[in-house]
Amino acid sequence: MRGFLLGLSSGAVCAAYCTPVLVPYLLGEGRDVLQNFSALMQFLLGRLMGYLSFAVFAWGIHTSLPQDITQRNLIIGSTYLILSGLLIFYSFFKTGRACPSAGGHGIDHRLHDSRPSLLLLAMGLATGLNFCPPFLLAVATAAEQTSLLQSLLFFLTFFLGTSVFLIPVPFLGLLRGFSPLHLIGKMAAGLIGAYYLFIGATMLSGGLYR
Amino acid sequence: MKRARSIAGYAWAVACMVAVLATFSGNNYLSAKLASATGVTVSPMYSGGEIVRSIDHGAYRTVIRHPVFDGLLGERKEGFIQIEWQPVTEFPLLIEDKIDFTGDGKEDFAFRLDTANGKGTLTPRNPSVIAVQMLVRVNQGWVARIQLRKVS
Amino acid sequence: MIKEHHPHAKTIEVRQSPGKSFLYALPMMLLTLVMMSGGKIPADPQRIFVFAVTYLFFNLLFFLMIHTGKTDRYRATAFITYAILFIISFISHMFEARGSMSLSQEKIILCEVPFCHLVIPMTLIPAAFTKTIIFPGSITGGFASIASMFTIWIGASLSMGRGWCSWGCFFGGLDDAFSRILKRPLLRKIDPRWTYLPWAVLLSVILSAAAFLSPTYCTWLCPFKTVTEFEAVTSFKILVQTIIFVSLFIALVIVLPLLTKRRIQCSLFCPFGAMQGLTNRINAFDVRIDPDICINCKRCVAACPTLSATEESIRAGRPLMSCMKCGTCVDVCPNGAASFHVRGTPVAGNRNIKRLLFLYTAFLFLATFSGGTIQDGLLRIIRLITTGSMI
Repeated sequence: MRGFLLGLSSGAVCAAYCTPVLVPYLLGEGRDVLQNFSALMQFLLGRLMGYLSFAVFAWGIHTSLPQDITQRNLIIGSTYLILSGLLIFYSFFKTGRACPSAGGHGIDHRLHDSRPSLLLLAMGLATGLNFCPPFLLAVATAAEQTSLLQSLLFFLTFFLGTSVFLIPVPFLGLLRGFSPLHLIGKMAAGLIGAYYLFIGATMLSGGLYR
Repeated sequence: MKRARSIAGYAWAVACMVAVLATFSGNNYLSAKLASATGVTVSPMYSGGEIVRSIDHGAYRTVIRHPVFDGLLGERKEGFIQIEWQPVTEFPLLIEDKIDFTGDGKEDFAFRLDTANGKGTLTPRNPSVIAVQMLVRVNQGWVARIQLRKVS
Repeated sequence: MIKEHHPHAKTIEVRQSPGKSFLYALPMMLLTLVMMSGGKIPADPQRIFVFAVTYLFFNLLFFLMIHTGKTDRYRATAFITYAILFIISFISHMFEARGSMSLSQEKIILCEVPFCHLVIPMTLIPAAFTKTIIFPGSITGGFASIASMFTIWIGASLSMGRGWCSWGCFFGGLDDAFSRILKRPLLRKIDPRWTYLPWAVLLSVILSAAAFLSPTYCTWLCPFKTVTEFEAVTSFKILVQTIIFVSLFIALVIVLPLLTKRRIQCSLFCPFGAMQGLTNRINAFDVRIDPDICINCKRCVAACPTLSATEESIRAGRPLMSCMKCGTCVDVCPNGAASFHVRGTPVAGNRNIKRLLFLYTAFLFLATFSGGTIQDGLLRIIRLITTGSMI
């Protein structure tokens, strides 16, 4: 219950950080509301995998996440770079070449067409690993749990609490009739990816050069 | 019906011209009304937050503002507090202040400010106090923003 | 006198005789006298001189618009003049106030940053949720306060819709100017999908501004910081931001408009412009193409500086939502099929009245909004000539 309430109190922040990643993707896909809920579930599953993996890590070493700024910058920077790569890949590589300056064919088939949920899972994982402030607090709390099961349970309930705020997002599917939204979503994904590329590179270089 | 629509259209067009006149000639009034009707203020992330307390030290004054943790919905876990030093007569060369922003009577951090060259040293006493975000000369005084993190 | 159009006439004109043009322009002369002066005639001889020059400049252009029946060339003359003198005036003020164009932390902390209309889209969601404006400016009072710019934006949206981008914006004249330098475009083909980029930029900056409570377009992208003010480079992050906005200025405001003869920044990037396209729906004026007269020559498609005239849109009888009401298509149409139109009225008929109603609204806005800045810019130039310094 404590985990769920903590997640609920912090979920707005999580939603704010996740929305710039999720909304362009859902717009770009142009699916209906039900399909968007399915996509949201995949995204959240990716986030959950990120959370649970850290629950295990935190419990296993009986400590919270690295307080040393160098290590944090390296980890966060790397995940931001992965996220930016995913967003930019999504923006440029898609059947039908929605982006006017897209180059390259065929790469998307292996990752996107054959296993469409891998991209969402990966994006969810990357956003889940980005140490948003509520997440840090949850990890610190989970590290204090006496058993692995308690740690996992805490994180699961925390995750559920934070996910509540993302429920309205799939209703973007109501706009799918407006066809240019697909292109706009993909372009926006590229722009946000470029932003995370810069932030990730800066944090990574800050961590490497300390 | 067509005629009525035409008349309405032309009336609307004339109203647009009136809107231009009103926008500029009534700008002061309209903008004041807009501000008071909406009740908006500048975000504390930029204004620094409301003033909580002002401590008079004789030659200078220390202004403590409310900690800022503003988020889009609710509060964030990381924020800052803005402290200002304003000269009354003349700044001493060195200022050493013990700041209690939580109001519990215990010192949260100490700040040592060299007013000649703007060097500041933060000594946290409260685990929520992290680091100095910025130290800026403003008018004749100094403003510091101290990074905070909420600790449960 | 108006020449009545015939369906197959080679040229359609709405030009007026000099006498009638003067009569039609007379109300504008009175209105601009009142609006530009604010009811007070300046006392200083230099100020009287620049006021007179500015007043005559605007009213001559308006007279020529009525007399020749052409809109765009005279609109652009005023619009470009405004943009150039705005830069001169603004930069001079910055040097006077703080000795450089760079924005200091002090000004940010004091919330004395002038509020620009480009910030508006990013402030809306945070304002709705937190009742605060995520910008270090003043709500009321001072130069370019937040509330006064919002008032002007609301007034412009109600009266002109996206006509703001051709009759109001103090930056738009820059890429408008560069798009007119060459006689023929060197790059002709522009993929029409690029017209959706401003919407993507709008979506990105709205989402990121709401997430981080920071005006992300201003901090990361706005090319016009190059000619106004920007944060002093004190960190690697700010250095990268500086490189980005200077590069965007060179590419989107100078080079690409020069090569394509299109207003690239305004039509293919600006997120505020994208948002303003929505306000075209609540505006009385639009541009229409009469299908009975249109001979499908596609001159409007070639000439439109904002890619708002497409073959599909011509068939539909109107340009796209991105139309900035500059009047280019109306001027180049050989048969007069394209015209300014008042919603609710028939497309054909009363072309002159509808055009006049639009011109009165838009030109009055331009003259009033830009008049003070143009006068200040002229004063700076006079000061430069007479004293060797604009400050």
